[in-house]
Amino acid sequence: MGFPVFISLGQSHHPAKRELEKEIAGQLHQHPDFQVTMLTNLYDLKPNGPAIEALRAVEGEMVVFSWNYQRAAHWILDRNDIRGSVGEVELQPDSGDDDDELEDELEEDDGEQVPRVLDGRPLPDRQIYCVNLQSSSSAEDFIEEAERIAASSLGQWIQGDPSEEQLDRFRNPINDTAQGPGSLPPTIEEENGRRWYPVIDFSRCTNCMECVDFCLFGVYGVDRAETILVEQPDNCRKGCPACSRVCPENAIVFPQHKTPAIAGAPVNVGGLKIDLSLLFGKPEAADVAARERDEQLMLAGRAPVDSDEQPLEKRQLGKPAGPADELDALLDELETLE
Amino acid sequence: MSDPLVFQMGEFPAEFPVELQYARNHMWAELRGDVYRFGFTAYAVRLLQDVYFLDWNFDAGVDLQPQQELGSIESKKAESSLYAPLGGKLTLFNEQLMADPSGINLDKYGDGWLFEIHPADDNTATDLMNAAEYLVDLEDVWKITQRTIKGQLS
Repeated sequence: MGFPVFISLGQSHHPAKRELEKEIAGQLHQHPDFQVTMLTNLYDLKPNGPAIEALRAVEGEMVVFSWNYQRAAHWILDRNDIRGSVGEVELQPDSGDDDDELEDELEEDDGEQVPRVLDGRPLPDRQIYCVNLQSSSSAEDFIEEAERIAASSLGQWIQGDPSEEQLDRFRNPINDTAQGPGSLPPTIEEENGRRWYPVIDFSRCTNCMECVDFCLFGVYGVDRAETILVEQPDNCRKGCPACSRVCPENAIVFPQHKTPAIAGAPVNVGGLKIDLSLLFGKPEAADVAARERDEQLMLAGRAPVDSDEQPLEKRQLGKPAGPADELDALLDELETLE
Repeated sequence: MSDPLVFQMGEFPAEFPVELQYARNHMWAELRGDVYRFGFTAYAVRLLQDVYFLDWNFDAGVDLQPQQELGSIESKKAESSLYAPLGGKLTLFNEQLMADPSGINLDKYGDGWLFEIHPADDNTATDLMNAAEYLVDLEDVWKITQRTIKGQLS
Protein backbone atom coordinates (compact mmCIF):
# COMPACT_ATOMS: atom_id res chain seq x y z
CA MET A 1 0.00 0.00 0.00
CA GLY A 2 1.31 3.39 -0.93
CA PHE A 3 0.66 6.75 0.64
CA PRO A 4 -3.04 7.49 -0.04
CA VAL A 5 -3.70 10.25 -2.55
CA PHE A 6 -7.14 11.34 -3.73
CA ILE A 7 -7.74 13.56 -6.73
CA SER A 8 -11.10 15.27 -6.84
CA LEU A 9 -12.05 16.17 -10.41
CA GLY A 10 -13.40 19.65 -11.07
CA GLN A 11 -16.71 20.55 -12.67
CA SER A 12 -15.16 22.52 -15.51
CA HIS A 13 -14.50 20.83 -18.83
CA HIS A 14 -11.58 23.16 -19.46
CA PRO A 15 -9.03 20.99 -21.31
CA ALA A 16 -6.10 22.50 -19.39
CA LYS A 17 -7.74 21.61 -16.07
CA ARG A 18 -8.68 18.12 -17.23
CA GLU A 19 -5.16 17.60 -18.54
CA LEU A 20 -3.61 18.69 -15.25
CA GLU A 21 -5.79 16.29 -13.27
CA LYS A 22 -4.92 13.44 -15.62
CA GLU A 23 -1.23 14.18 -15.62
CA ILE A 24 -1.00 14.29 -11.84
CA ALA A 25 -3.09 11.14 -11.55
CA GLY A 26 -1.07 9.31 -14.19
CA GLN A 27 2.32 10.24 -12.79
CA LEU A 28 1.45 9.48 -9.18
CA HIS A 29 -0.17 6.23 -10.26
CA GLN A 30 3.12 5.13 -11.77
CA HIS A 31 4.96 6.16 -8.62
CA PRO A 32 5.24 3.03 -6.45
CA ASP A 33 4.89 4.95 -3.22
CA PHE A 34 1.43 6.33 -3.81
CA GLN A 35 -1.97 4.74 -3.84
CA VAL A 36 -4.04 7.02 -6.05
CA THR A 37 -7.82 7.25 -6.41
CA MET A 38 -9.76 9.74 -8.49
CA LEU A 39 -13.12 11.05 -7.28
CA THR A 40 -15.88 13.17 -8.72
CA ASN A 41 -15.99 16.71 -7.34
CA LEU A 42 -15.40 16.59 -3.57
CA TYR A 43 -18.01 19.20 -2.67
CA ASP A 44 -20.79 17.38 -4.54
CA LEU A 45 -20.14 13.93 -3.05
CA LYS A 46 -23.04 12.12 -1.43
CA PRO A 47 -22.71 12.01 2.38
CA ASN A 48 -22.58 8.22 2.46
CA GLY A 49 -21.61 7.51 -1.11
CA PRO A 50 -18.74 5.27 -2.23
CA ALA A 51 -16.23 8.12 -2.54
CA ILE A 52 -16.79 9.36 1.01
CA GLU A 53 -16.59 5.75 2.23
CA ALA A 54 -13.23 5.34 0.48
CA LEU A 55 -11.93 8.52 2.12
CA ARG A 56 -13.23 7.38 5.50
CA ALA A 57 -11.49 4.04 5.14
CA VAL A 58 -8.10 5.76 5.32
CA GLU A 59 -6.94 5.82 8.92
CA GLY A 60 -3.60 7.53 8.52
CA GLU A 61 -2.34 10.55 6.69
CA MET A 62 -3.49 11.36 3.19
CA VAL A 63 -3.26 13.93 0.44
CA VAL A 64 -6.41 15.25 -1.18
CA PHE A 65 -6.09 17.29 -4.38
CA SER A 66 -9.15 19.34 -5.29
CA TRP A 67 -10.12 22.63 -6.95
CA ASN A 68 -10.82 24.17 -3.59
CA TYR A 69 -8.96 26.28 -1.11
CA GLN A 70 -7.30 24.14 1.55
CA ARG A 71 -9.64 25.41 4.25
CA ALA A 72 -12.71 24.55 2.16
CA ALA A 73 -11.55 21.03 1.34
CA HIS A 74 -10.40 20.31 4.88
CA TRP A 75 -13.72 21.25 6.44
CA ILE A 76 -15.78 19.48 3.76
CA LEU A 77 -13.92 16.33 4.79
CA ASP A 78 -14.37 17.10 8.49
CA ARG A 79 -18.12 17.44 8.07
CA ASN A 80 -18.10 13.94 6.57
CA ASP A 81 -16.29 12.58 9.58
CA ILE A 82 -12.95 12.44 7.82
CA ARG A 83 -11.01 14.24 10.46
CA GLY A 84 -7.46 15.14 11.28
CA SER A 85 -5.36 18.23 11.79
CA VAL A 86 -4.52 20.53 8.90
CA GLY A 87 -1.38 19.25 7.22
CA GLU A 88 1.06 21.93 6.16
CA VAL A 89 0.94 22.39 2.40
CA GLU A 90 3.75 24.45 0.90
CA LEU A 91 2.26 24.66 -2.57
CA GLN A 92 -0.38 27.37 -2.31
CA PRO A 93 -2.16 29.53 -4.87
CA ASP A 94 -0.45 32.82 -5.55
CA SER A 95 -2.25 35.36 -3.42
CA GLY A 96 -0.62 38.18 -5.35
CA ASP A 97 1.11 39.16 -2.15
CA ASP A 98 4.75 38.34 -1.64
CA ASP A 99 4.99 39.81 1.81
CA ASP A 100 4.54 36.52 3.61
CA GLU A 101 6.53 37.47 6.67
CA LEU A 102 4.37 40.42 7.44
CA GLU A 103 1.33 38.27 6.86
CA ASP A 104 2.57 35.70 9.35
CA GLU A 105 3.25 38.41 11.85
CA LEU A 106 -0.21 39.80 11.53
CA GLU A 107 -1.62 36.36 11.99
CA GLU A 108 0.25 35.97 15.25
CA ASP A 109 -0.74 39.43 16.39
CA ASP A 110 -4.31 38.36 16.10
CA GLY A 111 -3.76 36.78 19.49
CA GLU A 112 -7.06 37.55 21.11
CA GLN A 113 -7.80 34.24 22.82
CA VAL A 114 -11.38 33.45 21.92
CA PRO A 115 -12.26 29.80 22.51
CA ARG A 116 -12.95 28.04 19.24
CA VAL A 117 -15.21 25.03 18.77
CA LEU A 118 -12.20 22.99 17.72
CA ASP A 119 -10.51 23.58 21.10
CA GLY A 120 -13.03 21.29 22.76
CA ARG A 121 -12.99 18.69 20.06
CA PRO A 122 -9.99 16.35 20.01
CA LEU A 123 -8.79 15.41 16.54
CA PRO A 124 -7.47 12.02 15.51
CA ASP A 125 -3.70 11.95 15.57
CA ARG A 126 -3.08 12.40 11.88
CA GLN A 127 -2.76 15.14 9.34
CA ILE A 128 -4.79 15.62 6.20
CA TYR A 129 -3.10 17.53 3.41
CA CYS A 130 -5.58 19.29 1.14
CA VAL A 131 -3.84 20.70 -1.90
CA ASN A 132 -5.56 23.31 -4.06
CA LEU A 133 -5.22 22.42 -7.75
CA GLN A 134 -5.32 26.14 -8.55
CA SER A 135 -1.89 26.49 -6.97
CA SER A 136 0.03 25.74 -10.15
CA SER A 137 -0.47 24.80 -13.78
CA SER A 138 2.42 22.34 -13.72
CA ALA A 139 1.83 18.72 -12.74
CA GLU A 140 5.48 18.52 -11.60
CA ASP A 141 4.79 20.99 -8.81
CA PHE A 142 2.03 18.78 -7.47
CA ILE A 143 4.10 15.59 -7.74
CA GLU A 144 6.90 17.28 -5.84
CA GLU A 145 4.50 18.49 -3.18
CA ALA A 146 3.05 14.98 -2.79
CA GLU A 147 6.57 13.56 -2.47
CA ARG A 148 7.51 16.22 0.06
CA ILE A 149 4.40 15.53 2.13
CA ALA A 150 4.88 11.77 2.00
CA ALA A 151 8.53 12.11 3.02
CA SER A 152 7.82 14.59 5.81
CA SER A 153 5.09 12.46 7.30
CA LEU A 154 6.97 9.18 6.97
CA GLY A 155 7.22 8.90 10.71
CA GLN A 156 3.46 8.61 11.13
CA TRP A 157 2.89 6.75 7.94
CA ILE A 158 5.42 3.94 8.24
CA GLN A 159 4.51 2.40 11.56
CA GLY A 160 7.45 1.84 13.86
CA ASP A 161 10.89 3.19 13.39
CA PRO A 162 12.18 3.00 9.82
CA SER A 163 15.90 2.68 9.32
CA GLU A 164 17.80 5.22 7.27
CA GLU A 165 18.10 2.58 4.55
CA GLN A 166 14.35 2.04 4.45
CA LEU A 167 13.71 5.75 4.30
CA ASP A 168 16.21 6.06 1.50
CA ARG A 169 14.43 3.37 -0.44
CA PHE A 170 11.23 5.36 -0.03
CA ARG A 171 12.79 8.62 -1.14
CA ASN A 172 14.54 7.10 -4.15
CA PRO A 173 12.26 4.36 -5.31
CA ILE A 174 13.26 1.81 -7.92
CA ASN A 175 10.46 2.02 -10.37
CA ASP A 176 9.92 -1.71 -10.81
CA THR A 177 6.27 -1.82 -9.86
CA ALA A 178 5.38 1.06 -12.09
CA GLN A 179 2.38 0.80 -14.39
CA GLY A 180 2.66 1.32 -18.10
CA PRO A 181 2.76 4.89 -19.29
CA GLY A 182 -0.57 6.58 -19.71
CA SER A 183 -2.46 4.31 -17.35
CA LEU A 184 -4.73 6.06 -14.89
CA PRO A 185 -5.70 5.15 -11.34
CA PRO A 186 -9.21 3.92 -10.55
CA THR A 187 -11.97 6.50 -10.41
CA ILE A 188 -14.88 6.39 -8.00
CA GLU A 189 -17.61 7.95 -10.06
CA GLU A 190 -20.80 9.28 -8.58
CA GLU A 191 -23.66 10.68 -10.64
CA ASN A 192 -24.21 13.72 -8.49
CA GLY A 193 -25.96 16.94 -9.27
CA ARG A 194 -24.27 20.12 -8.15
CA ARG A 195 -24.72 20.87 -4.49
CA TRP A 196 -24.62 24.19 -2.62
CA TYR A 197 -24.21 24.38 1.15
CA PRO A 198 -22.06 26.06 3.79
CA VAL A 199 -19.02 24.44 5.36
CA ILE A 200 -17.99 25.50 8.86
CA ASP A 201 -14.33 26.04 9.71
CA PHE A 202 -14.37 24.94 13.36
CA SER A 203 -10.88 26.27 13.95
CA ARG A 204 -12.46 29.71 13.63
CA CYS A 205 -16.07 29.12 14.75
CA THR A 206 -16.81 30.30 18.29
CA ASN A 207 -20.32 28.84 18.44
CA CYS A 208 -21.79 32.34 18.62
CA MET A 209 -25.01 31.24 16.83
CA GLU A 210 -25.28 34.31 14.58
CA CYS A 211 -25.70 31.96 11.61
CA VAL A 212 -28.44 29.82 13.12
CA ASP A 213 -30.35 33.00 13.99
CA PHE A 214 -29.81 34.50 10.58
CA CYS A 215 -30.61 31.63 8.23
CA LEU A 216 -34.35 31.25 7.80
CA PHE A 217 -34.10 28.09 5.74
CA GLY A 218 -33.23 25.72 8.56
CA VAL A 219 -29.75 24.86 7.31
CA TYR A 220 -28.13 25.16 10.72
CA GLY A 221 -28.81 23.23 13.87
CA VAL A 222 -27.05 22.21 17.05
CA ASP A 223 -25.75 18.83 18.13
CA ARG A 224 -26.29 17.23 21.54
CA ALA A 225 -23.43 19.27 22.96
CA GLU A 226 -25.21 22.44 21.78
CA THR A 227 -22.59 23.05 19.14
CA ILE A 228 -23.50 24.54 15.81
CA LEU A 229 -23.55 22.27 12.78
CA VAL A 230 -24.75 22.31 9.20
CA GLU A 231 -27.70 20.06 9.84
CA GLN A 232 -29.66 20.27 6.57
CA PRO A 233 -27.10 21.27 3.95
CA ASP A 234 -29.44 20.74 1.02
CA ASN A 235 -31.99 23.21 2.44
CA CYS A 236 -29.49 25.89 1.49
CA ARG A 237 -30.47 28.27 -1.32
CA LYS A 238 -28.24 27.91 -4.34
CA GLY A 239 -26.00 30.93 -4.82
CA CYS A 240 -26.81 32.53 -1.45
CA PRO A 241 -23.72 33.14 0.70
CA ALA A 242 -25.44 35.52 3.12
CA CYS A 243 -24.68 33.65 6.36
CA SER A 244 -20.97 33.72 5.64
CA ARG A 245 -21.19 37.52 5.58
CA VAL A 246 -22.81 37.71 8.99
CA CYS A 247 -20.34 35.30 10.58
CA PRO A 248 -18.13 37.51 12.75
CA GLU A 249 -15.22 35.05 12.55
CA ASN A 250 -15.23 34.37 8.80
CA ALA A 251 -15.78 30.71 9.69
CA ILE A 252 -18.42 29.91 7.08
CA VAL A 253 -17.12 28.82 3.71
CA PHE A 254 -19.00 28.38 0.43
CA PRO A 255 -16.34 26.54 -1.57
CA GLN A 256 -17.84 27.36 -4.98
CA HIS A 257 -18.42 31.08 -4.42
CA LYS A 258 -16.69 33.54 -6.76
CA THR A 259 -15.31 35.69 -3.94
CA PRO A 260 -12.12 34.11 -2.57
CA ALA A 261 -12.82 35.26 1.00
CA ILE A 262 -16.14 33.38 0.93
CA ALA A 263 -14.70 30.36 -0.89
CA GLY A 264 -12.20 29.73 1.90
CA ALA A 265 -9.10 31.69 0.87
CA PRO A 266 -6.66 32.07 3.76
CA VAL A 267 -8.26 34.53 6.12
CA ASN A 268 -5.48 37.08 6.03
CA VAL A 269 -5.10 37.26 2.29
CA GLY A 270 -5.94 40.77 1.24
CA GLY A 271 -5.96 41.85 4.85
CA LEU A 272 -2.96 44.03 4.21
CA LYS A 273 -4.58 46.17 1.60
CA ILE A 274 -6.88 48.61 3.18
CA ASP A 275 -10.29 48.52 1.64
CA LEU A 276 -11.88 51.90 2.10
CA SER A 277 -15.02 51.05 0.18
CA LEU A 278 -17.03 50.78 3.38
CA LEU A 279 -16.14 54.36 4.16
CA PHE A 280 -17.05 55.40 0.66
CA GLY A 281 -20.57 54.04 0.79
CA LYS A 282 -20.35 50.30 0.17
CA PRO A 283 -23.19 48.62 2.04
CA GLU A 284 -22.18 46.91 5.26
CA ALA A 285 -21.82 43.13 5.11
CA ALA A 286 -24.88 42.76 7.33
CA ASP A 287 -26.97 44.83 4.90
CA VAL A 288 -25.76 42.81 1.92
CA ALA A 289 -26.52 39.63 3.83
CA ALA A 290 -30.02 40.80 4.76
CA ARG A 291 -30.70 41.75 1.14
CA GLU A 292 -29.43 38.39 -0.11
CA ARG A 293 -31.58 36.57 2.42
CA ASP A 294 -34.65 38.63 1.42
CA GLU A 295 -34.02 37.74 -2.21
CA GLN A 296 -33.94 34.07 -1.32
CA LEU A 297 -37.05 34.33 0.84
CA MET A 298 -38.94 35.94 -2.03
CA LEU A 299 -37.61 33.36 -4.49
CA ALA A 300 -38.99 30.72 -2.16
CA GLY A 301 -42.35 32.51 -2.12
CA ARG A 302 -41.97 33.75 1.46
CA ALA A 303 -42.19 37.23 2.92
CA PRO A 304 -38.97 39.20 3.28
CA VAL A 305 -37.89 40.37 6.72
CA ASP A 306 -38.19 44.10 7.23
CA SER A 307 -34.71 44.84 8.51
CA ASP A 308 -35.68 48.29 9.75
CA GLU A 309 -38.35 46.91 12.01
CA GLN A 310 -36.41 43.85 12.96
CA PRO A 311 -32.77 44.83 12.96
CA LEU A 312 -30.31 41.98 13.08
CA GLU A 313 -29.87 41.30 16.72
CA LYS A 314 -26.25 41.10 17.72
CA ARG A 315 -25.38 38.19 19.93
CA GLN A 316 -22.02 39.58 20.80
CA LEU A 317 -23.04 42.81 22.44
CA GLY A 318 -19.98 42.83 24.63
CA LYS A 319 -17.77 43.31 21.62
CA PRO A 320 -17.06 46.84 20.54
CA ALA A 321 -18.48 47.55 17.12
CA GLY A 322 -19.48 50.49 15.00
CA PRO A 323 -17.93 52.74 12.42
CA ALA A 324 -15.65 54.63 14.77
CA ASP A 325 -13.91 51.46 15.92
CA GLU A 326 -13.54 50.23 12.38
CA LEU A 327 -11.92 53.49 11.40
CA ASP A 328 -9.61 53.27 14.42
CA ALA A 329 -8.59 49.79 13.40
CA LEU A 330 -7.92 50.96 9.86
CA LEU A 331 -5.76 53.82 11.04
CA ASP A 332 -3.85 51.51 13.36
CA GLU A 333 -3.19 49.23 10.47
CA LEU A 334 -1.92 52.15 8.42
CA GLU A 335 0.50 53.12 11.16
CA THR A 336 1.92 49.64 11.57
CA LEU A 337 2.59 49.54 7.86
CA GLU A 338 4.68 52.69 7.87
CA MET B 1 -38.88 24.72 -42.98
CA SER B 2 -37.68 27.89 -44.65
CA ASP B 3 -34.01 28.58 -45.14
CA PRO B 4 -32.35 30.24 -42.19
CA LEU B 5 -31.20 33.85 -42.44
CA VAL B 6 -27.45 34.31 -42.49
CA PHE B 7 -25.29 36.98 -40.91
CA GLN B 8 -21.69 37.11 -41.99
CA MET B 9 -19.33 37.42 -38.99
CA GLY B 10 -16.18 38.05 -40.98
CA GLU B 11 -15.64 34.77 -42.79
CA PHE B 12 -18.11 32.90 -40.64
CA PRO B 13 -21.74 32.59 -41.74
CA ALA B 14 -23.96 32.58 -38.65
CA GLU B 15 -27.34 31.03 -39.34
CA PHE B 16 -30.61 32.01 -37.70
CA PRO B 17 -33.69 29.83 -38.22
CA VAL B 18 -36.69 31.96 -39.15
CA GLU B 19 -39.00 29.78 -37.03
CA LEU B 20 -37.37 31.11 -33.84
CA GLN B 21 -37.58 34.43 -32.04
CA TYR B 22 -34.57 36.30 -30.72
CA ALA B 23 -33.65 38.25 -27.61
CA ARG B 24 -31.16 41.10 -27.53
CA ASN B 25 -28.76 39.13 -25.36
CA HIS B 26 -28.16 36.68 -28.22
CA MET B 27 -30.49 33.97 -27.12
CA TRP B 28 -33.08 32.39 -29.34
CA ALA B 29 -36.59 31.75 -28.02
CA GLU B 30 -39.07 29.12 -29.00
CA LEU B 31 -42.63 29.16 -27.72
CA ARG B 32 -43.57 25.73 -26.39
CA GLY B 33 -47.06 25.79 -24.94
CA ASP B 34 -46.99 28.58 -22.39
CA VAL B 35 -43.24 28.68 -21.84
CA TYR B 36 -40.39 30.01 -23.92
CA ARG B 37 -37.36 27.79 -24.36
CA PHE B 38 -34.08 29.71 -24.70
CA GLY B 39 -30.65 28.87 -26.07
CA PHE B 40 -27.62 30.63 -27.48
CA THR B 41 -27.77 31.90 -31.06
CA ALA B 42 -25.10 31.06 -33.61
CA TYR B 43 -23.73 34.56 -33.00
CA ALA B 44 -23.16 33.86 -29.30
CA VAL B 45 -21.78 30.37 -29.83
CA ARG B 46 -19.34 31.65 -32.47
CA LEU B 47 -18.00 34.20 -29.99
CA LEU B 48 -17.81 31.73 -27.11
CA GLN B 49 -16.52 28.73 -29.06
CA ASP B 50 -16.03 25.56 -26.96
CA VAL B 51 -18.02 25.82 -23.72
CA TYR B 52 -16.22 24.32 -20.73
CA PHE B 53 -18.36 25.24 -17.79
CA LEU B 54 -21.85 26.48 -17.13
CA ASP B 55 -23.29 27.30 -13.75
CA TRP B 56 -26.61 28.70 -12.60
CA ASN B 57 -27.05 30.84 -9.49
CA PHE B 58 -30.19 29.06 -8.33
CA ASP B 59 -32.48 26.14 -8.91
CA ALA B 60 -35.45 26.21 -11.26
CA GLY B 61 -38.76 27.56 -9.97
CA VAL B 62 -37.77 31.15 -9.25
CA ASP B 63 -39.30 34.42 -10.40
CA LEU B 64 -36.97 36.52 -12.51
CA GLN B 65 -36.71 40.19 -13.30
CA PRO B 66 -35.63 40.97 -16.86
CA GLN B 67 -31.81 41.19 -17.02
CA GLN B 68 -31.45 39.51 -13.64
CA GLU B 69 -28.12 37.70 -13.33
CA LEU B 70 -28.73 33.98 -13.84
CA GLY B 71 -25.35 32.38 -13.78
CA SER B 72 -22.04 32.25 -15.56
CA ILE B 73 -20.30 30.57 -18.44
CA GLU B 74 -16.69 29.76 -19.24
CA SER B 75 -15.53 28.83 -22.70
CA LYS B 76 -12.39 28.59 -24.75
CA LYS B 77 -12.54 32.26 -25.68
CA ALA B 78 -14.48 33.98 -22.96
CA GLU B 79 -16.13 34.03 -19.63
CA SER B 80 -19.28 35.90 -18.87
CA SER B 81 -22.17 36.27 -16.52
CA LEU B 82 -25.54 35.36 -18.00
CA TYR B 83 -28.73 37.38 -17.66
CA ALA B 84 -32.44 36.75 -18.02
CA PRO B 85 -33.71 37.54 -21.53
CA LEU B 86 -37.15 38.33 -20.10
CA GLY B 87 -38.98 38.42 -16.80
CA GLY B 88 -41.08 35.56 -15.53
CA LYS B 89 -40.75 32.25 -13.78
CA LEU B 90 -37.76 30.14 -14.68
CA THR B 91 -39.34 26.71 -14.87
CA LEU B 92 -36.56 24.45 -16.11
CA PHE B 93 -32.83 24.30 -16.70
CA ASN B 94 -31.35 21.88 -19.21
CA GLU B 95 -29.78 19.42 -16.78
CA GLN B 96 -27.89 17.64 -19.56
CA LEU B 97 -25.62 20.66 -19.87
CA MET B 98 -24.59 20.48 -16.20
CA ALA B 99 -22.76 17.23 -16.80
CA ASP B 100 -21.46 18.23 -20.21
CA PRO B 101 -21.90 21.79 -21.50
CA SER B 102 -20.47 20.91 -24.91
CA GLY B 103 -24.06 20.20 -26.01
CA ILE B 104 -24.24 23.95 -26.59
CA ASN B 105 -21.61 23.61 -29.31
CA LEU B 106 -22.99 20.41 -30.78
CA ASP B 107 -26.63 21.41 -31.21
CA LYS B 108 -27.24 25.03 -30.27
CA TYR B 109 -30.74 25.24 -31.70
CA GLY B 110 -31.75 21.80 -30.38
CA ASP B 111 -30.43 19.71 -27.49
CA GLY B 112 -28.12 22.53 -26.45
CA TRP B 113 -31.00 24.69 -25.16
CA LEU B 114 -30.41 26.45 -21.84
CA PHE B 115 -33.63 27.00 -19.90
CA GLU B 116 -37.36 27.66 -20.09
CA ILE B 117 -39.20 30.71 -18.80
CA HIS B 118 -42.88 31.23 -18.23
CA PRO B 119 -43.24 34.93 -19.09
CA ALA B 120 -44.50 37.31 -16.41
CA ASP B 121 -47.16 38.72 -18.74
CA ASP B 122 -48.09 38.55 -22.40
CA ASN B 123 -46.40 41.84 -23.18
CA THR B 124 -42.93 40.53 -22.43
CA ALA B 125 -43.01 38.53 -25.62
CA THR B 126 -43.02 41.78 -27.60
CA ASP B 127 -39.42 42.28 -26.43
CA LEU B 128 -38.48 39.39 -28.67
CA MET B 129 -37.51 39.92 -32.30
CA ASN B 130 -37.99 37.84 -35.39
CA ALA B 131 -34.93 36.65 -37.31
CA ALA B 132 -34.98 39.59 -39.74
CA GLU B 133 -35.17 42.14 -36.92
CA TYR B 134 -32.37 40.36 -35.09
CA LEU B 135 -30.19 40.57 -38.19
CA VAL B 136 -30.73 44.34 -38.39
CA ASP B 137 -29.74 44.54 -34.72
CA LEU B 138 -26.62 42.50 -35.39
CA GLU B 139 -25.34 44.96 -38.00
CA ASP B 140 -24.63 47.45 -35.23
CA VAL B 141 -23.80 44.91 -32.57
CA TRP B 142 -21.17 43.24 -34.73
CA LYS B 143 -19.24 46.54 -35.00
CA ILE B 144 -19.35 46.98 -31.24
CA THR B 145 -18.36 43.36 -30.69
CA GLN B 146 -15.31 43.70 -32.89
CA ARG B 147 -14.25 46.86 -31.10
CA THR B 148 -14.72 45.15 -27.73
CA ILE B 149 -12.67 42.14 -28.71
CA LYS B 150 -9.91 44.24 -30.24
CA GLY B 151 -9.93 46.51 -27.19
CA GLN B 152 -9.45 43.57 -24.86
CA LEU B 153 -6.76 41.99 -26.98
CA SER B 154 -4.57 45.07 -27.25
